[in-house]
Amino acid sequence: MHIRNFSIIAHIDHGKSTLADRLLTSTNAVSEREAREQMLDSMDLERERGITIKASAVTVTHHHVPGSKLDQLESDVEATPGEAPAPAPAKPKKGKPAYDPRSELYMLNFIDTPGHVDFSYEVSRALTACEGAILVVDSTQGVEAQTVANAFMAMENNLTLIPVVNKIDLPSADPDRVAMEIEQVLGLPAEDCIYVSAKSGIGIPELLAAICDRLPAPRQPEVSQTRALIFDSHYDDYRGVVIYIRVFDGRLRVGEKIRMMGTGRTFQVTELGKYTPKPMKVESLGPGETGYLVANIKTLKDVRVGDTITLDTDPAPKPLPGYKEPRQMVFCDFYPTSGSAAKGNDFEELREAITKLSLNDASFTFVPVHSEALGFGFRCGFLGLLHMDIIQERLEREGGVEIIQTAPTVTYELEKTDGEVLQITNPAELPDGSVWKELREPIVRLDIMTPKEFIGDIMAMCGNRRGIYKGQTVVSESRQILEYEIPLAEIIYDFFDKLKSITRGYGTMDYHLLGFKADRLAKVDILVNGDPVEALSLICHRDNAEYRGRQLLVRLREEIPRHQFEIPLQAAIGGKIIARETIKSMRKNVTAKCYGGDVSRKRKLLEKQKEGKKRMKAIGSVEIPQEAFMAVLDQGE
Amino acid sequence: MHQTTAITVGGQSRPATSEDGLSALSTPVRSLYAHVPFCFHKCHYCDFYSFVDSQDRQPAFTDALISEIRTLARHARRASPGSARPPLDTVFVGGGTPSLLRPDLWHRLLAALNEAFDLSAPGLEFTVECNPETVTPELIATLRAGGVNRVSMGAQSFNTTHLKTLERWHDPENVPRALEIAAAGGIPRRSIDLIFAIPGQSLTDWETDLARGLSLCTPAGRGIGRSGGLEGSGGVEHISCYALTYEPNTAMTRRLARGEFAAAPDDLEARMYERTVELCAERGFGRYEVSNFAQPGAESRHNLAYWRQQQWLAAGPSASAHVAGWRWKNVPRLTDWMQGVERSGGYAPAADVEPPDPRRALAERLMMGVRIAEGLPGHEILAAAESLGARDTLRREAERQERKGLLRVSGGRWTLTDRGFLFADGVAAELMSVLQR
Repeated sequence: MHIRNFSIIAHIDHGKSTLADRLLTSTNAVSEREAREQMLDSMDLERERGITIKASAVTVTHHHVPGSKLDQLESDVEATPGEAPAPAPAKPKKGKPAYDPRSELYMLNFIDTPGHVDFSYEVSRALTACEGAILVVDSTQGVEAQTVANAFMAMENNLTLIPVVNKIDLPSADPDRVAMEIEQVLGLPAEDCIYVSAKSGIGIPELLAAICDRLPAPRQPEVSQTRALIFDSHYDDYRGVVIYIRVFDGRLRVGEKIRMMGTGRTFQVTELGKYTPKPMKVESLGPGETGYLVANIKTLKDVRVGDTITLDTDPAPKPLPGYKEPRQMVFCDFYPTSGSAAKGNDFEELREAITKLSLNDASFTFVPVHSEALGFGFRCGFLGLLHMDIIQERLEREGGVEIIQTAPTVTYELEKTDGEVLQITNPAELPDGSVWKELREPIVRLDIMTPKEFIGDIMAMCGNRRGIYKGQTVVSESRQILEYEIPLAEIIYDFFDKLKSITRGYGTMDYHLLGFKADRLAKVDILVNGDPVEALSLICHRDNAEYRGRQLLVRLREEIPRHQFEIPLQAAIGGKIIARETIKSMRKNVTAKCYGGDVSRKRKLLEKQKEGKKRMKAIGSVEIPQEAFMAVLDQGE
Repeated sequence: MHQTTAITVGGQSRPATSEDGLSALSTPVRSLYAHVPFCFHKCHYCDFYSFVDSQDRQPAFTDALISEIRTLARHARRASPGSARPPLDTVFVGGGTPSLLRPDLWHRLLAALNEAFDLSAPGLEFTVECNPETVTPELIATLRAGGVNRVSMGAQSFNTTHLKTLERWHDPENVPRALEIAAAGGIPRRSIDLIFAIPGQSLTDWETDLARGLSLCTPAGRGIGRSGGLEGSGGVEHISCYALTYEPNTAMTRRLARGEFAAAPDDLEARMYERTVELCAERGFGRYEVSNFAQPGAESRHNLAYWRQQQWLAAGPSASAHVAGWRWKNVPRLTDWMQGVERSGGYAPAADVEPPDPRRALAERLMMGVRIAEGLPGHEILAAAESLGARDTLRREAERQERKGLLRVSGGRWTLTDRGFLFADGVAAELMSVLQR
């Protein structure tokens, strides 16, 4: 049997998941009746947001006549071949043609990848397991920033690309223009594009033929020992960790003892299988095949995505070329809210929820932290801002915990005068300025795809945010890609929202990390009544420090209630005050009227007043409410 | 807004009534509050239960009120053995606008009250709240004949602009006139209410208002009305000065939220309060509670009963009672209250019922008692805290408040300092918090 391994890559909302669903129904893996919309996205959140978060690998079979440009669909053919899952009792349906006698059987393994910029690491993991990729572009939208990023990533992995122009059934579709954009920007010949409507099924026979014909077969085994690549994993409550693997060399069988070449851990394989998309157990997986493996693994910590699995009895001398570890670029703290009543086990609940979620998402990190202000929580690292939002939402939804999130920051690199280099993920950890040699911040290459008329405003925004113009590419008559180098810190707050508003929703962006660069960065300390409050400090460019500092003080002035004394608020860099605000003293706190009928209500009010104070953090003699610590969050320009 | 409280007895849940608390009464109760809900017009700052009068419901209301008063007297009698009519020390009829009740109905009400309770105690204080517009010699004569010896006049301000802001439409000149009528009719004790921190009111405006109010005072050095000396002068012996409070669900608060005006700045309000204390003191009116000022001996004994955590009975819709450690509020809707009283033979359906709880009782005692100049009896308070295991924490908290310059702890009584009066709520909240579980 022929094997084809491929991914589907696309800009968000260009119809990748719908296409995956269509491929499932067209290959009889799922009947129309059972077809649910976007069936590969299993999490509620994915369905709700309409975006794919976890990659899923699915195996289907298909009959292809070699050389043919147009295949019959399995769903249009009478008999189900022996290899297909759950064959229905032989009950020939009338009016359906039989298989073309020249056709050969293909096993198609396809991997649905996330589309958003934050998940480019997950995309790259999935791509390494493939020989080809279907690049989906919306015929009503055209090439977008992530289309370009994903296509280039696939090309870097030597994947063969099949460009697909989707949604051609829509009235506003302009497939020829989009095909030209694909040629112009990505260098893929316009005539190679296949026009489809994943929704209505137009073009699917051509696409299936192209997958079998144009995509290369898996490479031949290079070593005699078994080597399989872990490209994803998830945690299943009943079976433990389920690993997604791609076998490159040798064969894996149920019952064998496997070894993780990176960690050295060994496990007994209890189950092998493929998702069709229902899980279907198999006895073994051979070269070129994709599937899942269960081996009584209790925690995802024992599984490193990118690791190579080999046999314990006959280990391979060298692992497969590995993946790079994901790098968390955005950090923030999660604390349990003490919203209703301050319960001691809130932190434990949060820990449990985070630990559980980390079984399902290996790309975020967490370490316990203690904040003077907010108590015990976790400092978490994320691939990007959307990733952060999704994790927070999943924790609240799936873990049932309520979270307070602190302001996101990026990772800074501090080179000290003694040569030591520190990774700073929290401004509070930044040592005193006297030991600094150089403070470096992450710089990204930012590609913005925009209609031409908004270029001026976008350039102004990027300029204000320390962006360095690198060039522009014409995509079509009306649209261009702007290229910038810009500090990541400048785009993590509200850049995307601003871009969307400038371009009336038409602008898209993608970024990837270029490296770290020194700049005139400063740590701004916030002093409340003369006492520095670490949890409020921030790192920013020296030129913005006064503005950012003052803005934060103004917010604090609103959030910190008046006390019986005047409270000075100061922003300082290395002891030098750069901004100052004052919270005036409270002059009175007394109810004028309090008689017999007011007792119960008044008592409850006072108890509440005191309850609210309990949740405040005393810094010196000043009580600071949690909201004030959140003020750093709203630090957009 | 106010639902009756459900009470569960023997596994059965039923709506609570005033009978639940009254049945627990075992010691003499010496105060009674009665609520008359009728008004001309709903003032915009007012959150008391009241509605614009439609005269046709007054007789039925009076009947129900009399029925409730008789029931209260029955319970009070059981707790004061040996007296045919249980004696009261203070009666307060508030509203609403009690003076809006027709004189003939007042006559019936007062007759019934005198029949049910003994109002002959020396030093009896029987107050009726009056709106200056509604005071007539006929009404005053009726009240006086029924034992009323004190009126509390809602003046609010003498400045027509500020009265308008409050949606009070009376002519300020009616205030001295009404006081004269009361005095001439033999009501010896007279008080007025004033409001400050009205939007748009300057410090000078308030000083002028207050000076006008104080100019109505009983000449210093002459006896207080109780001895019967000053009936003809129309002077006052007592002034309540309230900072305007934006109570939830009042028109004033909605107007503030809509931005029709700005609330007086905190600093100005504090300054007005400080001036109030000074100006009142100059005229011989001592502050005996946060917002209440009186010539010596002219303090309101009824209100002191509230602040001293004493017991009192309650009659009328929305009236609150404190009996045998129970607190409750009669349901506020006139119809609900009347129907309940009629059906049960004098018991009102009850809302916000709180059964006795020593922790709550002490918290309330601290909260209310700290407001009065005489303060809290330290030893008694600490003894009560001891039984709750909070003696030391409470003492330490009181001392902490003393170090902050807000409270004086020495000398057996805990009293607010001048500065402490400005932060009475904060002090109360801190003291109460040591009792919280």
